[in-house]
Amino acid sequence: MKLGKEEIQKIVLGVLLFFGLVYSYFNLLLGPLVAHTELNRRSINGLQPVIDANKAQIARTKELEAQAPKVQMVVRQVNAMIPEGAPVAWFPTRMAEFFKRQGIDHVTTRLNSESADGRYKAYRKLTWGVDVPKVEFLHFASALAALENEEPLIEINSVQIDASRDEVDTQHILITLNNLVRK
Amino acid sequence: MALHLNLYHEIQKTKALKRRDPLKISMFILGSIAACFALYYFFQLLNYHGVAEELDKVKTQNDKIAPLAKAAKKREDVLTIRKKSSDALADRIENRFYWAPILEQFLKTVPRNVQITRFNGDVPPDGLRRCTIILDGLAAGTDARKVAEDLRTAIADAFNPKYKGVTSTFRTLEDGIEPVVFDGKPVPTATFSIVVQIPLVDASASATPPPRKRK
Repeated sequence: MKLGKEEIQKIVLGVLLFFGLVYSYFNLLLGPLVAHTELNRRSINGLQPVIDANKAQIARTKELEAQAPKVQMVVRQVNAMIPEGAPVAWFPTRMAEFFKRQGIDHVTTRLNSESADGRYKAYRKLTWGVDVPKVEFLHFASALAALENEEPLIEINSVQIDASRDEVDTQHILITLNNLVRK
Repeated sequence: MALHLNLYHEIQKTKALKRRDPLKISMFILGSIAACFALYYFFQLLNYHGVAEELDKVKTQNDKIAPLAKAAKKREDVLTIRKKSSDALADRIENRFYWAPILEQFLKTVPRNVQITRFNGDVPPDGLRRCTIILDGLAAGTDARKVAEDLRTAIADAFNPKYKGVTSTFRTLEDGIEPVVFDGKPVPTATFSIVVQIPLVDASASATPPPRKRK
C-alpha cells in the first residue's frame, strides 16, 4: 500500500495533534489536578498536628481548671490571714497584742524593708524588726513557739538575745521577721 | 475437479482493505488511549474532590477549635501563675524554719555552769539555706576551758541527729579575768564565742509537721 502526499500530511498532522493532546492532558489537566490534590493532602497533614496540639491544650487547661478550686483555696486561706489596709497600720499592733496575750509588754515593731518576691506575684514581702526590751528567756521561747504556730505567714529570719547586765533574769531580744501582704 | 471462479474478488479485496485500514485502526487505538486517559482523569478528579472535602472538614474543625485553644492557652497561663503562686505560698508556709525547737535544744544543752551572754541566730531569707548561730558566753569550773569545749561538742552532738552536717567551732576562747562563785566556791572562768552552722537541706525536717487533713 502506497501512501499519497495528502495522506502523509494527514498522518503527520494527526501525530502532531496527538502529541499536543498528550501534552495538554498531562500539563493542563492531570498535572494541576494532581498538584492540587497533593497540596491539599499536605495541608491536611500540616493541620492535623495543629488540631491535635489544640485538643491537647484544651485538655490540659480542663485538667488545670479542675485543680483550680484547690489552688484557689490556698490563696483564699492566705488572703484571709492578711487584714485589709496598710501593713504599718495593723502589723505592729498585731504583734504587740500577740505578745501581750503571752504576757510580754512593751514590744515595738518597726518596718525595716519591703521587697517584691517573684514567687508570689500578688504579694509583697515586708521585713520587720520586733524589739522586746525586757523578757525572761523561757517565757519568750514559749511565746516564740506560739507565734510560729499561730502565724503561718511569718518567717523569722534572725533572733538576737542579749543578757541584761543589770538584771540577770531578763534578756533583751530583737527578732527580724518577714511576712506577706497583699500588693 | 470443477473450475471455481470468484467473480467477487475485487469487492472482497476492497472490503478487506477497508477492514484493515491503518487510519481506522489507529483511530481505534487513539480512542482507547483517550478513553483510558479520560477514565484516569476522572479517577483523579474524584480523588481530588475527596481530599478537598477532607481538607474542608479539617479546616472547619481547626477553625472551630483554634479560638477555643487560644482561650484555653490564656486561661492556662492565668491558672499556671495562680498554681505556682499557690505552690510557693504552701512551700513557704510548710518549709519555714522554726526557731522554737532550736532554742529548746540550746536550753537542754547548756549546763548550769555556763552563762550565755549573747545569742545571735540568723537564717538568710533567700539563697543558701543555712542557719548560723553565734553564742557568746562565760564558762565556769575548775577547768573552765574544758567546760566550754564540752559545750561546743555537746551542741554539735545535740543537733547532728536532726540536721546533717552541723558544725560547731570556737571563734574565741579565752581565760576569764575574774573568778566567779559557783556552788559556793570561787572558780575560774573562760569567755567563749562559738559559731554553730546548721545546714537546712531538708527544711521540712526542722519544722513541726503541719496537721494532716483526714479524708
